[in-house]
This record gives sequence, structure tokens and C-alpha cells, in this order.
Amino acid sequence: MPRLPDPRFAPDCAIAVDGKRIAARAGESVAAAMLAAGRPLLARSAKYHRPRGPFCLAGSCGSCLVRVDGEPNVRACRTACRDGLRVETQNAFPSAAHDLLGVVDRVTPRGLDHHHLATWSRLANRIAVRLSRSLAGLGRLGDRAPSPYPPAAEERFDALVVGAGPAGLGAAQVLAAAGRRVLLVEEAARLGGRLRCGYALPDEPALGWAYEIAQAVRRAGGEVALSSSALGLWRDGGRPLAAVHADVPSPRLRLVRADRIVLCTGGTPQPPDFENADLPGILSGRGLAAALAEDGVVPGERAAILGTGLEAEALAARLRSAGMTSEVVAGEVARARGRARVSGLVLAGGSLVDCDTVAVATVPAPACELAREAGARVAFDPALATFAIQAGEDGSTGVPGLWAAGEATGARSAAQAALAGRRAGEAARG
Amino acid sequence: MGKRIVCACEDVTLEEVRRAFAAGHRDLESVKRYTGFGTGPCQGKSCLSAVAREILRLGGTPGEAAPFTARPPLHAVPLAAFAAMDSAALPMDAGVPVPPAGPQARPRPNGPLPARADVVIVGGGIMGLALAYELSVRGVTDVLVLERDYLNAGASGRNGGGVRAQWSTPTMIRLARRTLEICARFAADMGVNVWFRRGGYLFLAPTRREVVRLEANLALHHRFRLRTRLVTPGEAREIVPELDGTRFLAGAFNPDDGVVFPWPFLWGYAARSEARGAKVRTFTAVTGFETSGTRIGAVLTEHGRVECETVVNACGAWSKEVAALAGVALPNRPTRHEILVTEPLKPWLDPLVSVLGTGLYFSQSQRGELVGGMGDPEEPAGVESGSTLRFLARFAREMAACAPITAGLRVLRQWAGCYDVTPDNNPVLGAAGFENFLQMSGFVGHGFMMAPAVAELMADWMTGRGRDEIFERFTVARFARGETVPEDFIIG
Repeated sequence: MPRLPDPRFAPDCAIAVDGKRIAARAGESVAAAMLAAGRPLLARSAKYHRPRGPFCLAGSCGSCLVRVDGEPNVRACRTACRDGLRVETQNAFPSAAHDLLGVVDRVTPRGLDHHHLATWSRLANRIAVRLSRSLAGLGRLGDRAPSPYPPAAEERFDALVVGAGPAGLGAAQVLAAAGRRVLLVEEAARLGGRLRCGYALPDEPALGWAYEIAQAVRRAGGEVALSSSALGLWRDGGRPLAAVHADVPSPRLRLVRADRIVLCTGGTPQPPDFENADLPGILSGRGLAAALAEDGVVPGERAAILGTGLEAEALAARLRSAGMTSEVVAGEVARARGRARVSGLVLAGGSLVDCDTVAVATVPAPACELAREAGARVAFDPALATFAIQAGEDGSTGVPGLWAAGEATGARSAAQAALAGRRAGEAARG
Repeated sequence: MGKRIVCACEDVTLEEVRRAFAAGHRDLESVKRYTGFGTGPCQGKSCLSAVAREILRLGGTPGEAAPFTARPPLHAVPLAAFAAMDSAALPMDAGVPVPPAGPQARPRPNGPLPARADVVIVGGGIMGLALAYELSVRGVTDVLVLERDYLNAGASGRNGGGVRAQWSTPTMIRLARRTLEICARFAADMGVNVWFRRGGYLFLAPTRREVVRLEANLALHHRFRLRTRLVTPGEAREIVPELDGTRFLAGAFNPDDGVVFPWPFLWGYAARSEARGAKVRTFTAVTGFETSGTRIGAVLTEHGRVECETVVNACGAWSKEVAALAGVALPNRPTRHEILVTEPLKPWLDPLVSVLGTGLYFSQSQRGELVGGMGDPEEPAGVESGSTLRFLARFAREMAACAPITAGLRVLRQWAGCYDVTPDNNPVLGAAGFENFLQMSGFVGHGFMMAPAVAELMADWMTGRGRDEIFERFTVARFARGETVPEDFIIG
């Protein structure tokens, strides 16, 4: 059952992947269409030509790069399907599904030490340099130059809020209520961040709340920009200057100055670190839950859930309600099995969990990059085992004009994140 | 096969991280450079924490596990996006990342500091390390190299990796040609790959004035038996079909020039000089000098004092600051130059291309990335290493004009390094201020490609084996005497 049996989710177009027709829904991501088609394998890895497929489903990892209509290295999870879209797998000969260069992985069980490869003779080295160059790189150069972007002129807002998950929505709510003109930017095509997963955890705001806040932001003269990624917080001209890349309706760059910047960048899904954790079919739980809720994607029949706590349980329940068998894995995973996609997990004790999908519901790593560019401090959080932005109760980062809230500052429930966002909004409101 | 992949973009395994740590690459920046983790399409979003965790588990300190420098952009978008900006509306700025306020935990030095050494080389870039190696080969093994940061933290780890013999003075041609020879045998001689590839250098002349410069160099090049030839726009497009042939009048191409991957040069020189008895100490900043009369007697560092016979100042852009610690004034003017790298593509570009006048240059790295930079005439002097939108705007527009299809290439990362500029674009060599305070700086934007050859000559000179003319001509005293012959074939 590739899709939930709901007419809303019925395919209405087709894309071509390596010449093969794949049914899809116009507007959903290429990665979602491939998961629904039971084909998580989308690429081969850079060095060992290992099978790769979408992992984060949120534009952060680099595992789903494909060639789309002649443009190389495009993220399948950020590319909307439309009828006739031409998708080609990359870095594989002849195709990702049957890649002869997959032999590289098999003949290098301990990896390939590129620093010392063929350094024993000048001739051998020259040959190795030539050979390795011919194998390097992902996609081929594009078929044509892109259309020029429209000129980017500076725009001013009272506040820039990065991320429209619970924290960003909370901050935007307070700022808009105070009459501030807010630009709320969100990478995804939809509002809500993790609220899109439909977990309905205790105290979690409903998704409808996000749309109410979007209305309020617009009423206050602000703007909600979806499919819009903050590329960085530069300082050209001596004050923070954000560049935002808007993907739709056609690509454009926006330059945004705002005296108040609230970073609610959330977390980046982290792949597990056991053996073969890079196999296709091992997916970010939140990405998968959103694809299920929004596109009806059911990626397989048997799911194993990694992680603990309410979110892992909620994800397992969501997948069960979609008709999959779905269990939270108890115990440490030693390795994943499978060739073109995951077929099971071997636990440290030796027992086997039979599955065709692994959904990762561990706490994501706080997305600290923008904060670090701006000079905010981050620290390694031993409990999370990742870095987190150091922010006060009111979201203050120590950098004038910069606040941070939500999962970017550490593990927070959606309810906690929304509250932290509101507090940061109050501090930024002035 | 079973592998624990920690960085899925670059296929870096957990075992590689462990091997790097065991080999002495203990801090996260060094592990990044040695393994390549975090340098692919996701730029570390999915692997930074995992590697930090592993470094801590292996016994690294919080300072060693600190995240690598944040480099924009956060998402890989095409150059065309940045070409949409008007750089004139973006005034010059120090750039990002902004250093956080307050003290930062620093990694530990990689070993104890000796109480004395015959030769102390300040600066663990390619100049200092190549010199340490060449001295050790000549029997001078009581050498200590002091590096303030990790290896490759300065310009040696930040440059575009071009090596060319196409220069405008006999001295530079001679030095560069020697470096090209060393590059060709470095991997086999030093046991580490530097991915030297002779794809040639293609200079493009957009105006008649630049054509005259190329023509003037040609006779000199032929005198030195370089295979440089002038090419028409049509011929240039046979070498690089993606060029817009209407944007330049002529070009000069030498097929024997090439590109390298800079980082392993430092590892190779460091490892081989240490194997012969030299010491290389990272995360050990020099804080001052003890002087007496005409000599420096000891070097002071944050971790203690080292007595010495000879001090070599090989600090690149920081040479002026370090010389000032001894009260010696150098005329060097460190100047930031910005650079970027795009997503990796299959091989499509063989030579390094440089456009005279604009300073645009670009090449394709061994891994398939486009590596390119461009100088900015408004850049003030000063040691800065922040990244700006202004650079992205300027580079993207020039790049798209030069080779329109490259507007579709996605930018993965931008950074900056410092050129160590002198008034005549030639180096500062020989003693300055004190009879045992030797200078090895001022190589502008081409120090990396000169270092292997200069280090040989410097080691010969220091050990009395030879006295190359560069040690007569390029003394700091020449500036006071007005005996300067400018090198004008600087790019970037």
C-alpha cells in the first residue's frame, strides 16, 4: 500500500526517473513520490558508490541529490513533482539501481585511504590521480545556464523570524500582536515545523494555530514566506543582513535588514551511527510523518522506530494507523541489513528486527549555524550529545538584536518551544 | 560492505575519524581537513555533532571538539542567486562569522615545548614546514616549528591551489618551475597525495592593454622554454568550451601549469621533518622575543620560552605582527582575499582560468568542485578573514559573464584568507632587525606555489651551501634604497 487510501492522496501526474514512469502528486516532493513508489534508492554515494536515498526529507542532508530536467545535484526532497518532470540518478553507471561502480564499496571493506593511495611510485600516482578525478564529482555540468534571477534589493522589516515551527510561530505571534512588521521565513513549503507530523502530543498546539498566526502576521503588515531559506546572516554594511532564497513561484534572492532577528531554526535530523545506517529506507521520523500526513506516503510495510519517549511512540502509532507494522526498537542497534534498501536491523545482542523502513525519532541536533555566524555562543550539551545555541530564558544570545528559541537551543517539546518563542518575541518586541 | 558512515556526503567512516585522531589530528578542524567530513553538500549539518562526540569519546577536550568555523551559505544555491545582488550597494565589511564574545576553549598543543632549539621557525604554514623539512634533509634537525593554530589554518590552507610558471620576471619563473617539478614528485617522495594535475593555466585578456602584457611575457616564457602560447578566443574555447568568447580578446595558455590540493603538503612536510628529528608544535602562539644587542636569544610562547640560535619569521599575513613583537618593522600589507567552492561535478574544466584586470580566477578541484576567487580593489589592508555577501555578488556576476553555464553551480561554502602583500609584490627575505632574525614572508598571493622552491634555496643559504640572488635582492633594505622591480602578474 504505497499511499493512504484517501482520494486526496491519489496520484494525478507522473514523473520519469531514469526513464521509468513514477506516479506522483503534483506539488509533492520527488522524494515523497519515490518513497510512495517503494523506491527509496535515489543516488550513489560520492566515494564508495553506496546506495543512497532520502534521509531528512527536509533539505538539510545531502543524500537525495538527483538531476532534474538537466540540472545536476538537486535535492529530491525539495523539488516539487509536476507531470513530465525528468529525474535522473547521479554518480552511477549505468543507474543508481544497478551501479557497476558499487564494486568500489565491496573491495574496500576497511575504506579507502585516499591520502596514501598509490604513493609508492610516480607513475602509479599519476595514474591514480587521473583515475580518481574521472570518478570524482556527483552530477554532470548542467545542460544550460539558468535564467537570471530578478535583481535583489534590500527590504526592511521590524523583525525577522527564521523558522515557522512552534518557537518561530510563538515569536511571530507576539511580535505581530505588538504591531511589528515581521518577516517569518520557513524553508519548507508548509507552516508548522514539527506540528506538521500530526503527533498531537500533550499540550502541543494544533496545526490550525500556525495558520492563525500567519493571518495575524499578515494583518500587522508582515509576511510569511514559505519555501524560503535563510542562507546566512552576513554583516555587509556593518549591520546584520540576511539573504533569503525564495524557491517559489520562481527563484529569487531577498536581502533583508531587520533590527530584531529571532532564530527559531529548530533541529537537523541526525542519521544513526551504526553500521550501514546510510541505507535507503532509513528516514527521519519527522520527515516521514509529515510526508504521511500531507501526501499520504506509506513507505513500506514494516517500520522500526529508533528513539525513545513520546515522539517515538507517537510516530509508531501514526505508522500503525497507516497500515504498517511499527515498533519502537528496544535495545542497541549493531547494524542495518539490506542492499538497495534496509531489510532489517541486527541488535547488539544478535537478535534481528525485520523491517523495510527505519524511522529515526531521536532528538535532532540544534541548527546553530546562523547563530554562530552572528557571534552567538554554542556549547556541547552532554545530554543531547550535540551543540546547542546558548540562550537565556528570554532567548537573549548576548548578541545585540539577536534572540534564539526552541529546539535550536536544546531539547524542547513543541509546547515548550512555543512558549520559549513567545518569550523571545516579548524580549525582541522592545 | 559494512561501514559506519559518519558523513554521508563524503563517505567518511567513523574508523577514518579514529585514524585521523590517532595520527595526531585531534581538533575538529583538523579532523575535518584530514577526513573531508563536513565538506560536502550538507556542510556538516548531519555529521558535525557525531564527529564532536567521537573526538570527546577518544579523549579530546571541549576545545578540540568545538565546532568548525561556520561558513555561509547555509544552503547550496546557484551562483545566479548571488549574481542578483548589486555589489555597489554592499559596502566593504569585516564579514562573518563574528567571533563570539568572551574566552574560547583552545585545543591543547600537540606536545611539550623544548627548552631550546637551534632554529625556531615561527609559522607552521607551507613556508615554515617546507623550510623545516629542507633543513632536516641538510642535517639541521634541531628545528622547532611553532604554529599558533592547527596546520592549514592560515593562507596555506585557504588558497586555490594553483601552481603556474607563467610569470613576468625570470626569478619568479625559475622558482615556480622548480615548484612544479617538486609537485610532480611530491606524492611519491613524501608519501602523501597532493593530487597535482597539469591542466594548464589559461589567462584571458579582456582589453588591448592586457593583451600587450601577455605578449610581453611570451618572449620571456619562450626564453625559459615554457610552452606558453597565445590563443585566440576561438582557441581558448577549444580548451574551455564554456567560456563566453566575446568577453576577451586573447589568452595565454601554458599546458604545464596545474593545480594541487594544498592541505597535504603541510602534513607531508611536517611528518617528514619530524621523522628526521624536527618538532612541529601546533596551538602554540608566539607572544614575544628576548633580545640582546644584535641577536634574538629566545622565543616566548603562550606555553613557555625557547632559547634559540636562529629565528625564522614565516608567518605569512601575520609576519608583520610577529616582527613587531621584536620591534622590527616590515613593509608588508596583509590583505584579505575571498574565495568559494561549489558543489562537486564530474570533470568538465581542465585548466585554471584567470581573467586579467578583474582578478577572477577559477579551477576545478580534484573532487570536482569549482574553486574560485576574486580580489576586491576596495579591500583595505588588515588581517581579516570574514566572508561577505559583497564578494559573492562580485564573484557570481563575473563568473556568470565569463562562463555563463557556471551560473547554475551551487555555492557550498565561502571563506577568506590573507595575501601577504609588499610594495613591489616581491618577498621579504634575509635578516631584518637582528642578525639571527630571518624573514621568509611577503609572497603576496603566490606563497604556496613558491614555498617548495624557496624553502630549498633558503635551507641552502642558511647552511652555507649556496647564496641565491633572491637573498641579495629581496632584503627588507631594498625598500629604503628604492631598489624595487615590481612583479605585475599577480592574480586574485
